[in-house]
Amino acid sequence: MTESLTTENVTVTFDGLTALSKVDLSVPKRSVTGLIGPNGAGKTTLVNVLTGFQAPTAGRVTMDGADLGAKPAHKIRHLGIARTFQSGRLFSDLSVVDNLEVTGVGLGLSRRKASAKAVEMLDWMGISSLAERTAGGLPYTDERRVAIGRALMLEPKYLLLDEPAAGMSAEEADDLSRLIARIVSEIGCGVLLIEHNIGMVLKTCDDIHVLDSGKIIEVGPPAVIKASEKVRHAYMGTQVETEGEVL
Amino acid sequence: MVARKSVLARTISTPIILTLILLAVAGLSLWVNNGIFTRTIVEVFIRVMVVVGLYTFIGNSGVVSFGHIGFMCMGAYATAWFTIPPAMKKYSLRGLPEIISHNQLSFSLSITLATLFAGIFAYLFGKILVRLSGITGSIATFAMLAMINTVYSNWETVTGATSSIVGIPRKTDLWTGFAGAELAVIVAYLYAISRSGLALRSARDEAIAAAASGVDIARERLKAFVVSGMILGAAGALYAHFLGVLTPDAFYLGLTFISLSMLVVGGMNSLSGAVVGVVVLSAIIELLRTLEKGIAIGNQTWALPHGTQEIAIGGVMIVILIFRPSGLTRNQELSWSGWPFSERSSRQKSSIKDGVSEGASA
Ligand SMILES: Nc1ncnc2c1ncn2[C@@H]1O[C@H](COP(=O)(O)OP(=O)(O)O)[C@@H](O)[C@H]1O
Ligand SMILES: [Mg+2]
Repeated sequence: MTESLTTENVTVTFDGLTALSKVDLSVPKRSVTGLIGPNGAGKTTLVNVLTGFQAPTAGRVTMDGADLGAKPAHKIRHLGIARTFQSGRLFSDLSVVDNLEVTGVGLGLSRRKASAKAVEMLDWMGISSLAERTAGGLPYTDERRVAIGRALMLEPKYLLLDEPAAGMSAEEADDLSRLIARIVSEIGCGVLLIEHNIGMVLKTCDDIHVLDSGKIIEVGPPAVIKASEKVRHAYMGTQVETEGEVL
Repeated sequence: MVARKSVLARTISTPIILTLILLAVAGLSLWVNNGIFTRTIVEVFIRVMVVVGLYTFIGNSGVVSFGHIGFMCMGAYATAWFTIPPAMKKYSLRGLPEIISHNQLSFSLSITLATLFAGIFAYLFGKILVRLSGITGSIATFAMLAMINTVYSNWETVTGATSSIVGIPRKTDLWTGFAGAELAVIVAYLYAISRSGLALRSARDEAIAAAASGVDIARERLKAFVVSGMILGAAGALYAHFLGVLTPDAFYLGLTFISLSMLVVGGMNSLSGAVVGVVVLSAIIELLRTLEKGIAIGNQTWALPHGTQEIAIGGVMIVILIFRPSGLTRNQELSWSGWPFSERSSRQKSSIKDGVSEGASA
């Protein structure tokens, strides 16, 4: 059995509006899966379904073969599925290290152990210097990194990143790419990467799903996605930049 | 990689400073050495228990409760049931079960049982209420207060309904009051630095991210609800032994309003705010009460009109809400490393902002 986080036939409708339509997507462990698509395509909704924040109208989610059922979000995190948010959502009144400690405590560690793990994780990510800063006042890029650190506490099996590079410079996005590679190789996570920076997605991902108006319109390795007519069509008018070329 | 000091080591100065404040208040009473003033101070200590109890739920969860005075009512009546002499309660509270009406418990055992009694009801109400957030949750707690008040105002044979029940041994003196307030501060502090306290404050900031971090928000809220309900229950029991007489309306809107005002004025999200709010507002109330009674100037007596006190408290609260919405303490904790009334918050915003100071490494 392959280890993966999978949606089968997932449909989500918000009174009348179909946000996701029969989506099949698989995030295997120890690899990076990309999810791209125009704004409003349903990418965040899919992450919400995978993490228990949104019950699917139809279809199901399985992890390593087991049905996740209708578990609430905090239980899903206990099973080892972690996420970040498009809008950051740090605990702005807490220090950076306490932001990470919350996950440790949420997963059942004592404060002492959670605190030690948080310090370790900040060190692993190379952001120990931020430890005692209040999360609310952080610059954008640091905020993103802290959010990833918070999600990575206690080494989840799957990590879902919702537009983590938004607003980053090219260099910062490169750093993030390298971090994601380390997350896969050193922690062994299966990563789902949602990103508008197509260049980064093509470079970082092993497999890419393209979502448009709630439907998966293409799946494949970067080379296939790059060449796809359908993808080109879906992005018409939005003119997403790759490095040098327009996809 | 630098090892971090334990949370206790980082924050212990807060309960120590608060203890010193409480000791100073007790000392003031000894110094003035006047029976009426001492009673005022005992009332201040009971208020500290009430407001610190409110902080434990409201401050950590961010959900304003209008209902907790109901638990104070429960604690007060419970200790009355246990300690009024059997000869009296056999007639005045005919509905009590025999095991209660035929026996009289000691002060300390009765207070303990009254606290547990309030805790059990806090658990039962909390089970339902903690699923609600924001204004919905607040309104529901208000409904709870109204329900409790209605039961205590009408259950003639058990609570004496609206007529007062008498004969409660008057045991709460200066040092019992002090001990109660001190214990409340210690319990609230320990809760705030506990795993549950941290998890609940994270949910107060960002409920969605807290759930995504594995925090079961309803469960943590319930813990805080029970702890704070028990502190209120204990406060009610001490208050009963302070007054000697009880009526249900002593535990209704008036007390709810004044206690919440104290919490808001001090700073809702900090334990220090709860204590400071009580001390400052009590001082203002006491001053105005004296002025309402009148002071003699030469052979004329000059007095403020009655009601000035209530109006002034409302005024103070509005002024604070406008100019300092995070309260006198700015929602920070008192600690050795700084003084929140001066430059601390602007200088080092990072360290102590939440609940009990979390990162006071300075
Ligand atoms: N809670 C919700 N209620 C109603 N409509 C929603 C909700 N969440 C998302 N939608 C709608 O679903 C569609 C997909 O949104 P989203 O998943 O956020 O897209 P993306 O992340 O790809 O930009 C959008 O049309 C959005 O307006
Ligand atoms: Mg989105």
